Amino acid sequence: MKKKLLTMTLTLTMVAGMLSACNGSANTPADNSGNAEASDATGATDGAAPTEEGSTDLGGVSDDANTLTVAAWDPNFNIPALQAAEAAFQKKNPDFKLVINTVSGSQDVENAVTNAASAGDYSTLPDIVLFQDHYIQQYVTNYPDAWQDLSGASIKWDDFGAEKLSYSTIEGKHYGVPVDNGTAIFAYRTDILEQCGYTIDDVTGITWDRWLEIGREVKEKTGKYLLSMDHSGDDLPYMFMQAEGLSQWKDGKPDIVGNDTYQKLLQVIVTGADDGVILLCNSWSEYTDESIVGDQVAGVMNGNWIIPTIKQVKENSGKWALTTIPTLSGKEGYAANGGSSLYVTSNCQKVDLAQEFLAYTLGGGEGATETYDNALKNGGVITCCISAGKSSVYQEPDEYFNGQAIYADIVKMGASVPVVEQNDFHYNLRTAIGTAITNATKAGGGADLTTEIQSAAQDIDRQMSL
Amino acid sequence: MSSNINKPSVVRKKQLRAGWLFLTPASILIFIMSFYPMIMAFITSLKTGSGAKLKWGDPLFVNYFKNIPADATFLRSMGNTFLYLIIEVPIMLVFAILLAQILNNKDIKFRGLFRTMVFMPCAVSLVSYSLIFRSLFAREGLINSVLSGLGLISENINWLGTTGTARAVIIIGLIWRWTGYNMVFYLAGLQNIEYSVYEAAKIDGSSGWNTFWYITVPLLKPVIVMTAIMSINGTLQLFDESVNLTNGGPANTSITMSHYIWNEAFGQGVGHFGYASAMSFIIFILVAILAAINLKVGDTRD
Repeated sequence: MKKKLLTMTLTLTMVAGMLSACNGSANTPADNSGNAEASDATGATDGAAPTEEGSTDLGGVSDDANTLTVAAWDPNFNIPALQAAEAAFQKKNPDFKLVINTVSGSQDVENAVTNAASAGDYSTLPDIVLFQDHYIQQYVTNYPDAWQDLSGASIKWDDFGAEKLSYSTIEGKHYGVPVDNGTAIFAYRTDILEQCGYTIDDVTGITWDRWLEIGREVKEKTGKYLLSMDHSGDDLPYMFMQAEGLSQWKDGKPDIVGNDTYQKLLQVIVTGADDGVILLCNSWSEYTDESIVGDQVAGVMNGNWIIPTIKQVKENSGKWALTTIPTLSGKEGYAANGGSSLYVTSNCQKVDLAQEFLAYTLGGGEGATETYDNALKNGGVITCCISAGKSSVYQEPDEYFNGQAIYADIVKMGASVPVVEQNDFHYNLRTAIGTAITNATKAGGGADLTTEIQSAAQDIDRQMSL
Repeated sequence: MSSNINKPSVVRKKQLRAGWLFLTPASILIFIMSFYPMIMAFITSLKTGSGAKLKWGDPLFVNYFKNIPADATFLRSMGNTFLYLIIEVPIMLVFAILLAQILNNKDIKFRGLFRTMVFMPCAVSLVSYSLIFRSLFAREGLINSVLSGLGLISENINWLGTTGTARAVIIIGLIWRWTGYNMVFYLAGLQNIEYSVYEAAKIDGSSGWNTFWYITVPLLKPVIVMTAIMSINGTLQLFDESVNLTNGGPANTSITMSHYIWNEAFGQGVGHFGYASAMSFIIFILVAILAAINLKVGDTRD
């Protein structure tokens, strides 16, 4: 009988092994947000299931001399932009074909590059990949062999917002061609502000203290928060600092300890959270689905790619307006968040074609206006190419925003976004500061903010020394 | 003559050759798929730096002796993992054995149906059940609606935004997902116990509890040991729940070791592969130690 038991145990273990293997393969990438641009802002940490090996295969290159391959995500946003570029370039080169491999999220591209670089075999990469702005410096530094310098292409670099280009320009070399524009907007519900006796002008160019006062009043009278954010990947500190024209980094080191401005800005978030002005959500879906679509907020601040999320609430059409970000001094603040650019990989053999294609279309060449007009119409992609932003399509009023010509406004705002220092450890700092904010709020125990910032800085130092 | 005895016969030789032949493919595969990566992971764990720019640690074991002990988040993740282990595994195994005992009763109607229902959670992918639990326990989720509908709470509880409740939700999720899985092992074990043993106990006037405690449990011991090892092993490698349910939050206070390792290697685009490998070797050692203790304590066979 013992033998029988043993046999049974072994068999069951085997079955268990098989079962767990089944579980493993069931872990397909769970893009919970639907809006894949969301992953721009949340990084790889939100709902990012371990990606299957199969999905990190980006398809490689084509043998045809006139065909380029590209990997990108978000069929509602980036893909229409690429299709618009293909159509525009076909007018110049009728034989041209762009094979677009739609992946489920930005992590797929990142993982594919990591895998290819770790294996030292770049043949799996397509000619061009779309890549998140905040990640690209890290990847160029870590895997310099994976990319090709585009400085030689006939792209009018001056025609782009300097802030956007600062991500893809690494040690003076241009690696990427911008696709979208990450300019941050602060959208308010004008009807709710009106109930409390304010207009959109009363919240434009104000100090954070005044903003908190208005927020408390709004909360008291209407029960709505004036701002919400996914606190599992909290971009508020970054955007607040950029609006001041500052960075959390200085000369490659975190500039957060003893930084008065920074501490005051974090205090705004902590006070806002304690007073019910800012809603710190636990996840990306709580942020988009519950706070914004669930109509809990009277204000939204993020990269302009959040606009489609706001527009999901049909009954609030005509009640929104866009403006700039408050600052500590009360001047109008400009910031950017999220967004991505196209990069030519080292696996691309048709470098001339790739450069010509990018320069002619998204790079501000002859086909730029056509490309960007269609990208805006079909995907809501707003350009950061200054000349393309002057086209008539951008001047059209948006009904949802009560007739405001939001696209022209965003392009204008984008030109004012200050260039601030970026760092490879952007997301590490974001996590550490998120922890500090959580601990400093009343709900998180009300720890001393100064000490919390210090321990965050220590943690970053430790991680940078690893 | 003596040389003849020591020399294996031709048949024996052939058998030996066949044996090795059959063993070789599996052994080679195991070596390539399991042991070679383990060795490489150990070598990687001695390196520091990120991405493609890994360099040897200075001193060589700097990750193990300096970096890991100084990492408050890793120590916390270890604490969390053990907390889940200590609370979840006993509750789950007790539930599983009780359910198995109940569903093994021949007089229960619709036994098959109940068994299927208890086992059903195991058919759900870890990611999807985690996501479902996340939306259940969201601030505007079902649990809060039900509780406030019943008048038990006046304000919505931020389950996933508070350390204690976030950990509790993970434990509840784990129990829901894995109890049925373990129950199946116990059921199989119970069916292997001869009915005559119970009959003898009944004749001797043993009470229900005594029968369970002195007959069922000892006879189930090998299965109990196996499920305990598997649960401990699985809990130490807990990943999906931490990633998808709480995302390690709030402020990394519900993060597990595997999740933290993944974060260090891939999560934030930094790629501390050496450091992450070193941490995974710590888990490896912990699992080995725990399994050894478990076998020593549980295995009293001959």
